[in-house]
Amino acid sequence: MLIAINFVREQRWPILVLLLWVLLLAILGLTTSEARNGEDLLFVFKQVALYVVAFSVFFGSSAIYNDRRSRRILSVLSKDVKRSEYLSGLVLGITITSVIYSFALGLTGSWTLGEAGFRVGHIWFLMLCLVAACALAGTVALMFSTFLNPFIAAGATAAAMGIPAALSYGLGVSQLAYLIPVYPLAATVLKSSFNVPEKAFWFPILLAIAETLAFLLLSARIFSYVDIAVSVE
Amino acid sequence: MLAMRAVLEFENATKEYSSLFGRRHLRALDSFSLSVSAGEIFGFLGPNGAGKTTAIHLAMGFMRPTHGSGQLLGKPFGVPSAHRRVGFLPENVALYPRGAEELVRFYGALNGLSGQALRQRAGKVLNIVGLQDRSKGNVSKFSRGMLQGIGLAQALVNDPELLILDEPTSALDPASRVAVRELLLKMRAAGKTIFLSSHLLSEIELVCDRVAILHRGKLVRVGKTADLLETTERTEIVARGIALNAFSQTTAQDGVVRFVVSSGDQRAALERVWSLGGEVVSVTPERRSLEEIFLELTGNVKAAASGGQK
Repeated sequence: MLIAINFVREQRWPILVLLLWVLLLAILGLTTSEARNGEDLLFVFKQVALYVVAFSVFFGSSAIYNDRRSRRILSVLSKDVKRSEYLSGLVLGITITSVIYSFALGLTGSWTLGEAGFRVGHIWFLMLCLVAACALAGTVALMFSTFLNPFIAAGATAAAMGIPAALSYGLGVSQLAYLIPVYPLAATVLKSSFNVPEKAFWFPILLAIAETLAFLLLSARIFSYVDIAVSVE
Repeated sequence: MLAMRAVLEFENATKEYSSLFGRRHLRALDSFSLSVSAGEIFGFLGPNGAGKTTAIHLAMGFMRPTHGSGQLLGKPFGVPSAHRRVGFLPENVALYPRGAEELVRFYGALNGLSGQALRQRAGKVLNIVGLQDRSKGNVSKFSRGMLQGIGLAQALVNDPELLILDEPTSALDPASRVAVRELLLKMRAAGKTIFLSSHLLSEIELVCDRVAILHRGKLVRVGKTADLLETTERTEIVARGIALNAFSQTTAQDGVVRFVVSSGDQRAALERVWSLGGEVVSVTPERRSLEEIFLELTGNVKAAASGGQK
């Protein structure tokens, strides 16, 4: 938990930048007529929601690298901290970051979209989808970053998340998209609308939680073999 | 006599760094064996690139040895629970940017301290490193010397049995160096063990009970500091009541004549002093500085000499 809170504090500026987008949505809500521009608000809401997934990949792929480059990781791992605990702290930190963002977005969305007729309960379900997607995307990125440069790790994460979705479209096998269910979760947010009665489909969320834990275990396994510090002499 | 308990042991530890596709190998540490006993201040010396930091990072479990093994407080390298009894100060200490006391408490909490005990301990170690007045200041605004002090504070916060310090005084001013030296001596008096890597040979000479010298990944000398500094090859004789020209290369001051002879000639020289009616004031094996020994063992004598001539 200490490492998670420390991570969130370290990322306070990117989080603030993210929250500016939520502020933008709030301003739009204040300045537009909801009844007339509900669809526009929903479009902005979806767009703003997905930024946090991209940021989670960025956080996950760069967290270890930043601590290693600055050598701050040495002071942390020289304490009674297992490498798996360190990684768990980072994953928790990424999740807390996405919770902060999703909560702010959920509140703003409830107010702006709620007034335009969108079901408020469903907004919070979408926020849950978003948090689950962020936790999984961040953990996959973290797993790749245990042995790859952050840019390559981010690319590998995008590929790992995108290829199953592309294959499911290309081959017409929808189950393939659930191999790493970030895309189905993001799609739940993207496809939400005022018109279609929405049903809460919990399977991708539960799968994402299970896969987050699995990728965390895999990361810890890989990271236990990695040399942390390079010689400075 | 009971053997001293080893708190840090390297057993034939070898560490090789490989290039990306394994074409090139750099052997940073080569069959390195060393044992550090409880309660001593152990100096770890070597030129840049000798493998000192690699050895320390192996001990702390940051990396794995390619071959060999080692133990830290009776547990194999890389077991985090041993770190609860260890304080570590890395070279070029890097810390999170926040208040000094808050930061020390963060590191203390990582070692399982909490509540009142943690608050008291954080205050105490900040006092020890002389930064109690800056406890609220953000370390990102600290000078390098102050950062080093905070680094030392985070290493001490858990009241460690073993302190591993990688260049602890490199950024400190002379007064702070003296303070750190006194702290190390106090810690030894309290039964703690200190493993000290430093380039400052004069400091090592002043505080360390034993010294190891590493060169190109190999241990070239290990022993008691006093034994290393003392050479039996040459002896300084101080005598009174003899003429200045009685021996070659003498110096005189206040009627006392000093000269150096090889150990083989010591007996003859003493007899000559007496036969000349002189009085022997002292006979002392000539001491060399750690710097001389270090340069000799690491093959830098010529470089040092030419550097000195410039």
